[in-house]
Parts: sequence; structure tokens; C-alpha cells
Amino acid sequence: MSQPKASRSTKTERDSVHTGFLRHRGLLWAKIVLLLCALAIAGYVWHTPLDAPNGGTWLGYTLGGVSAALVLWLTLLGVRKRRYRSSLGTVKGWTSAHVYLGLSLIVIATLHSGFQFGLNIHTLGYVLMLLVIASGLYGLVVYSRLPQEIAQVRAGSTREAWIEELLDLSDQALKLAEPLGEDLHRKVVRSLDKASIGGGLRRQLYGQPESRRSAEDFRQSIEQRIEFLRNKINRPFDASVTRQNTVMFMANQLGGAGKSDEELQRVQQLLDVMGRRKALVARINRDIALHARLQVWLLVHVPLTFALIAALIAHVVSVFFYW
Amino acid sequence: MSGQYSIAIVGSGPAGLAAAARAAELGIAHVLLESEAHLSHTIHRYQKGKHVMAEPGALPLRASVPFAAGQREAILKVWDEGARKLKVNVRHQAEVSAISGARGAFVLKLASGETVQAEHVVLAIGLQGNPRKLGCEGEDCGLVQYQLDDPGEYQKETIVVVGAGDAAIENVLALSTNNQVTIVNRRDDFDRAREGNREAILKAIEQGRVRVVYNAGVSGVAMSAATRGVITLATPQGAAPIDCNRIIARLGATPPRAFVESCGIVFPSKDPNAVPAVSDRYESNVTGLYVIGALAGFPLIKQAMNQGWEVVEFIAGRNPEPADAPLLAKKFASLPGFTTVPAAIARIQQEVPVLSPLTPLQLREFLLDSELRTPASGKVIFSRNDYSDSFYSILEGSVFIAVNPDDVSELIPLGAGQFFGEMSLISGRRRSATVLAGEGCVLIETPRRSMNKLIASVAAVKRVLDETFLTRAIQSKIAPGLTAEELQGVVAKATVERFKAGETLFNAGDVGDGLHLIRKGSVTVAQMVADKETVLAYVPAGQYVGEMALLTGATRSATVRAAVATETIKLETESFRSLLAQHPSLREQLGTTFKARAAANANTPLGGGQQQGIVQFLMQQGLGEATDALLIDETLCVGCDHCEKACADTHGGISRLDREAGASFAELHVPTSCRHCEHPHCMKDCPPDAIRRAPNGEVFITDACIGCGNCEKNCPYGVIQMGSTSDKQPSLMSWLLFGGTEPGTRPQKADKPKTSSPKVAVKCDMCKDLSGGPACVRACPTGAAIRVSPEQFIQLTQSSG
Repeated sequence: MSQPKASRSTKTERDSVHTGFLRHRGLLWAKIVLLLCALAIAGYVWHTPLDAPNGGTWLGYTLGGVSAALVLWLTLLGVRKRRYRSSLGTVKGWTSAHVYLGLSLIVIATLHSGFQFGLNIHTLGYVLMLLVIASGLYGLVVYSRLPQEIAQVRAGSTREAWIEELLDLSDQALKLAEPLGEDLHRKVVRSLDKASIGGGLRRQLYGQPESRRSAEDFRQSIEQRIEFLRNKINRPFDASVTRQNTVMFMANQLGGAGKSDEELQRVQQLLDVMGRRKALVARINRDIALHARLQVWLLVHVPLTFALIAALIAHVVSVFFYW
Repeated sequence: MSGQYSIAIVGSGPAGLAAAARAAELGIAHVLLESEAHLSHTIHRYQKGKHVMAEPGALPLRASVPFAAGQREAILKVWDEGARKLKVNVRHQAEVSAISGARGAFVLKLASGETVQAEHVVLAIGLQGNPRKLGCEGEDCGLVQYQLDDPGEYQKETIVVVGAGDAAIENVLALSTNNQVTIVNRRDDFDRAREGNREAILKAIEQGRVRVVYNAGVSGVAMSAATRGVITLATPQGAAPIDCNRIIARLGATPPRAFVESCGIVFPSKDPNAVPAVSDRYESNVTGLYVIGALAGFPLIKQAMNQGWEVVEFIAGRNPEPADAPLLAKKFASLPGFTTVPAAIARIQQEVPVLSPLTPLQLREFLLDSELRTPASGKVIFSRNDYSDSFYSILEGSVFIAVNPDDVSELIPLGAGQFFGEMSLISGRRRSATVLAGEGCVLIETPRRSMNKLIASVAAVKRVLDETFLTRAIQSKIAPGLTAEELQGVVAKATVERFKAGETLFNAGDVGDGLHLIRKGSVTVAQMVADKETVLAYVPAGQYVGEMALLTGATRSATVRAAVATETIKLETESFRSLLAQHPSLREQLGTTFKARAAANANTPLGGGQQQGIVQFLMQQGLGEATDALLIDETLCVGCDHCEKACADTHGGISRLDREAGASFAELHVPTSCRHCEHPHCMKDCPPDAIRRAPNGEVFITDACIGCGNCEKNCPYGVIQMGSTSDKQPSLMSWLLFGGTEPGTRPQKADKPKTSSPKVAVKCDMCKDLSGGPACVRACPTGAAIRVSPEQFIQLTQSSG
């Protein structure tokens, strides 16, 4: 049997062909980080400075230097991600390292502080760092959970296909409503107009509350209409009765109910189309919400990172010039 | 009116026009017969402003009217002017319906009933064929048209479109936005159309945007006013007249072959791609009847024009050196003992038996596409598992084939006059062995397309290649150690069988009547597991199925189906049994081989029900013919689109993949992206042969692309687009510091360059020119995007879930 392409993928690469970023290369970065943290803790325990442990000892400077270098390197993921021609590792590898090295800061930077906290620029930097890490952890959680949920909501379809179907259903609803009187037609139009998709971030995340009233209005009036028509026909509505059933048809004609029967069918169809449309809108909005949740944490993570870098610069400058 | 001419030229495309222009220049009595009201109908039909290219760049143009790459309008204008200046004798609307006679006394019958007499006839009618007409009274009146250039031209008209194919449906849909359109279908369904078109037309009909008349023919057309008329339909309910402003008939075209054959010209095979055999003076088997241009197998404008010029020179009794002679001389420069081009060609024809059935013209064309190689002794020509697919003929010296991957010293020599490389050519798969150059070896390397053209045109070449493929396949896979002579009986009885995608090769429980060696495509092996048919294995080209039938009379244990269009070579049990009787040791050897194979298959069982579904799903997505496909694990994809952005950023601003489009199954998504098929559909009809396969398997488009769009149409997976790439990409630093366009995104309208480069076909090239492999996969932050080859499908089903 011919071998899989030997020239491009080595054996180890192929083994990792289908693993996510967290398990990249057999948890390589997790192992490196564990080692790094173990070294830092051992150093901290072993080192007994004259006064209490702090950032000013040689170990403190080392840990501080490593932490600062890590923060700057972690920020570079945003650059590497967009350097599409770069062959400096894969973005997946970078993401893996980003996650684990980012987590290592909890240990290394804390040891650097020597647990000396106060109301100052130094602790501000520390807190900002923890916030960045926390938002990153939240990102990790959504990255590991939401894609699966999105796949389920999508069920093999695409947003483009949904929009097409939605327009199609709206068309059908309008056509069905047209002969049913001006009032109902207007309500359908209003309901169609009100049900919206997407919008600002808030709406993307929490959906469309204001469309409920017109939908309710539509539902009420259509139910009234069905009730009215049923009474008029004076027999339970049975969709399985076909027009080929001549005796029934004649009977309806004689009773003057033929037209009402047809109208009832039309109303039922309209109800069905509107129901399908509503479910579809809900589905699209659910998809949008999930996607928004997948992205929204970055709106916290990235600006906080820049705040952290600013605080870090202030911290380093103040330490070296004013201490 | 009748006339007596020295040369009658049929068709005024580039070839015919060039011939007529040369005849006019030389003062030869000639007539150019054109069925349309303008010259060069095919190019006339190109969309407005289309950029026409002048490939191949190296070939010099030799014609009496100028031609250079440029816009359609400019080229047509130059040709019109040239024809006028040279006083070319054109007869428009002169459709030739029959040609009879031979050199000196030809009679050309026109559709109008007139006749034209000529001593020589040059047939340059191209391959487009004539549109089928309505076939009723009034079919040529002003109301009826057989093509639609610009649907936007018509507003608020009542239009009847006749036809149910893709062209008719596309016209109807485009017209229906501004007009009232009725489509007339001869049958009661639209099954001949592509699925997307079928769905769209049925929907348009259901929504009342388009009217339809099923089961209807056209019995008559009559004008009632200058722009109005009545089309009468013959329906099962009787005649139905429709009042309308316009009738558009899209009934396909009649391929020119039947007409050409009616002139007495013989085609070498039934293959629809076959072209008539002509001499090196373009003369067909009918003396005095010459065939040039696309009809003779030369689809490029420059080639066709050169032939037009040359054919008149030949008729005038001169013998100019063909335009390609300097190119050939350059190619032969490295040939030991090279004297002249004709001598070299004669020598090649004599030395290489597989090329001897070619006409001198075919051989010239073949050599023009080929390269002469003189590798040093011991040099590797190609390695096992390389993805090259060119074909090699040995002109001098010898080569050595390393058939055994475990023992490199096991070499089989191949001498002058032999050929190799046919395995990959036919199966579309990787090289099955490494080939090393011997002492003083001179090779002719021919690209896949030229070879395929030859196989389609010369039956003898096809037969030799098929037999050699089969013999060597049996030797390498089934019965090593047997000579070609010993296998002759089996080979002679073997048959090539063709299967459509999904068709069954054999069912479980059938009587085993032979072994299928898959030479093209791939198959799936399925068994009933718990009352449900489940796919157990995927078997690619180069492998075989049903081998136990050769040894035992047992019934088939599994059902085998073609995953894609597949060709197999079937070895009959009976003829094989007699071989076994002659070679008793072979039976034992085969038993061991087959048992080991069965055991290997049993060792790689697929997982639970869903995993088996994945294989089925991937096959449905055309991955059965893929060599490398992009898949996305939906459980990891965060929808960041960095794959698309990476693709666009590294490929002139156009992403060649559409992440969101495409089907999904069991959280595995097949995005719209090139699968790098074993037998790429896109390569089928590329006039400049711009689509190639790189040694690692990447199917890519070279700069020779003329933007004709054939590949876009031929790709069943919709992964090729026409677009103009730009060299300048948004800068990352300037985006980070100043904002603006992010790398990998489309530039905003205001940033777009005003003059765009001509549109060419763009597709995935698997980033063959980037170090580190495909940018889409390398840019994926979560590892959701993966590239897999068919061999990895099974592995994939095991690792997922």
C-alpha cells in the first residue's frame, strides 16, 4: 500500500493531526509550564533573603523579568496569528503555549510579589494581570464548549441558507395572508417587520425582546379566526379530508361552508408557516448569540492586556527610578 | 449563385480567417464561408470586454492578420479591418450542409440550397457546433433567438424560453426578474439540469415567478407585428398558442463530428475527445480536404492562426518550415547526434514503438509538449510516492526500476524503445516505484494532458498502454516473478469495466467470478452488520478487491461499490486458473499474500456506527477521489475565519476556501475547498494546459491561464473561482498601528485599484510555494482545520469521537 505523503507530514505530525490546541504535541507546553512553576516554587522556598521575600532580591528580579517577558510574548500571539506567511511554528502551537504560559504567570508573578500587596501601581498591575488571565480562562471555557453547541444548532446548514429560507417563508406568509383580509395581512406584515435578527452586541447576546408583542397580537387574531371558521363550518376541522372526496365537497358547498373550509386550510397553513418562521428566527438568533459569546471575551481580554502593559511599564519604571 | 474557387474555407474563426487572409494576400481565388453575420462567432460570443490571451507565449505568430492578447472588441476589430484590407472574399450566412468530392472537384452544398465549387477545402469549423433549431416553421424569424448575451437588455417583455437544460434555466431565472417568462419543457421534469438549477427553477415555478408548460413541443412560430408574435405549442391537451415578444430557444448544440464524418473524414476512435487524423500538411484522409484549428485538436488561437497560414502555403505548393521548428530545434539540442528537426522526429518514430502509430503532425505536437531529458547515470528520475504523472519514453540507453521498497538493490532494467510512468498516468495516484537513470539514457518526458489526448486519438497507443499497465500491475501486485509472456493469456482475457459513483461491482453472496484491479477511482467494501449495511474499508486505485475468487470458488463475502466514477480491470477466474495450473507454486504464494491482506484488513476495524457513517459521508462529499482534502472539526472550530484570512493573505487577496459552505456530518465539516482529485475534473478542458500537478500532489494553475472559465464549470465541488489577484496585501504593522484593512480581509471599495488585472481562475495550491505547508492549517488557532489524504480517513474515524 502506498504510504501517506511522506515528504510533508512526519509521523509525529500525523499523530497530532486531529488533536486540539490544549493537547498539542502531547501536552508539551503544559509539561514545560509545570517544570517552570516547580522551579520557581523550589527557588522561592530555598531562597531566604535577609528581609521578607520581595521583588527586589535577585530571585525577585529573575521572577519579575521572566513574568514581564512572558506578558510581552503572550501579547505577540495577536501578531503571530496574523502573520500568515510565518513558518515560526503553527498558530495552534502558539495558542497552546499562550494558554499554559499565561496560566504559569499566576504562580511566577505571585512569587515575584512575595505576597506584598497594597494600594499601589504594583498591585494594580498584578490585579490587571489576574483579570486578563481570568478573562482568558473564560475564553478557554467557551472555546471548549460552544463550538459543539454551534455545530448542533447549525445541523449542517449555513446562515446563508437560513436567511434564504427565512425570506422564502416570509414570502409564503404574505401570499397566504393576502386573501384573508386586510386586518390579518397587516398583522402578518407587522410581525414580519418586528422579528429581527442580530443587531448590536447586547441584542446579539440577549436576543430580541420587543418582537414578542406583535407576534402575540398575530397569534391571538389568528386563533380567533380559526375559532370563527370552525364554528361556521360546524364540524371539527380535519386536514385529511381532500377535495377529491366529492360527497363531502358537495355537502360543504350546499352548506355554504366550502369557502370557509378553504379559508380554514389557508389559515392553518399561515399559522404553520409563521410558526416555522419563528422557530427559524429563534435558531438564527441562537446561532448569533453563540458566536457573539465566542468572541465577546476578547473585547475584555485584549483591552485589559494593553492596560496591563501600561501598568507594567509604570511598575518597572517606578521600581528602577524611584525606589 | 455558384462559383469556382481554388480554396473554399469553411468557418471564419482564427484558423479559417488566417487561411482566407493568406489566400487573399497571395491572390488565390478563395471564398470564406461563415454561417453567421459576423466573423469569428465563438470569440464574438465571449462576454463584453473579456480579455483574450495569446498562449503559448513562446510560439511565434505567423499570419497575415495581426493578433495579440487584448480585449475581445479590439481583437475582433483588428480582424475585421485585416479582412477588409486584404479583400478577403467572405460569404456570410452561408452555412455549409454537405461537402462532397475530392481534390480538384469539391462541391459544397449550402443550407440555402446553393452550391460552391472548389479545388481544395479547408475545414476550420471549431468544436462549438451549431445550435439546435426549433425545427418548425418560423424557426429563423426575427422573433426567435438561439442565445442570450445580456438578460438585462430586456425589460417588461413576454418571453418564451424553450429548453430544459442548464442554459435554458439560467436564462429563464435571469430574465424573470424584469419580464414575464414561460419555460417550455419537452418532458415533465428538469432532471437533465444541475441540481442547483433544478431546485431554483422548480421554486420559481412554485412561487409563480415563472410559468411552465410541460410535455410540450413547438409546432410553429409566426410574427404578428414587428416585435410581437405567436408561438404555438403542441401539448397533450392540444395546440396552445402563446402571444409573446421574444422566443429564446436553448436546445444545445450539435457536435460537429457527424457533419465532419459525413464529408468522408475518418475519426480514429469513438472517444468523444478524438480528433480526425491529419497529415503534417493538415490534409485529412480525403485528399484535398484539410482540417485545421480546434477541430484538428489545436484549441489555442495562435496555433490555429499559424495553421491557417501554413495550410494555404501547402496548397499553393510551397513547403514552409512550421512555426514551431525553432522551438523543436531548441528542444532537440541536447539530443546526441542531432542534425535536423525532421530527422530527429523520424528517428523518434522509429526508435519508440509506442509512438510509431502517430501521424507526423501528432508526433510534432507531442514533442512540442514534451521535454527531452538526459539524466546522468544513477540519477533518480522519480521516486516511489512522488505525485508526478508524466509519461516517459526511452529513446536511448536504459533505466532501472526499483520495484522493492525494502531492497533497493532489486532493480529491473528497461531498455530503449520501452516506456514507463503509465501507472500514475492511468490511476492518478503516486508513483509505485523509484526509477533510476542508466548509462547514456535519453528520455522523452510527456505531460499527462498530451498523453491523454494521444490515448483518446490513437487507438493503438491506448491498447499498448492498457496492456502494459495490466501486465505490470499483475506482476507487481499479484504474481511477481512471472514474465509478460507467461501472463499473456490472462492479460488478453482481462476486461476493463466502468462503474458510476455508487454502482455495485459485486454483492455479498454473489458467485465470485474474478478479481477487480482498480485502475482509476476508488471503492468501498461494505458488509451487513446488525441488519445494516456498513462500510468496512476504502480501497483506492492501484489496489484490488475480490481476490479470493481466483483461488476458491467461494461466494463474495462483502458488497463492493464504486465511491466515485471507477474503472477496474477484471481478471477472469477461469483464465487465471489455467495460469495457476501451469505454476503450482504461484497458488501457494497467492494464498499467503491474500491471507496476510485479509488479516491486515481485520486489524483495522472501524469503530461504532457513527464512525462508519463518517466514511460514507466523506465518500458522498467526493473524498473518494481526493488526494488531500481540508476538513474542519466542528468541536474545535471557533469561527474566527483565520483559515480564510490566511489563504487570502498568502494568495493575492482571494481566499480559495469557503469555511462556512459545505456539508457536515458527525461534527466533521467539509468546507468548499479543493480536494486535489486523483483525476482532476478541472484539468479536463484547459486550452492552454495551465492546470498542473506538482510532485507533492498539489493541483495548481500556472500563469498560462487564459481565464476561459472551463475549469470553474468543470469542478463538481465549486472550488474554483474567477478573480483578479493583487500583489499588494494590507500590511500587518500599519493595521496594528493605524488601523484600516486587516491582513487577509478584502480591501474596502475605496481602496480597490481602479484598473484590475484580467480575471483568471484561482484555486487552492496547497501553499506549495510556502515553507511550512498550507497556511489555512497553520493559521488555525485551535487545531480544528486539518488536511487529510484518503489513507488517513480510517485513522480519522478512529481518532474522532
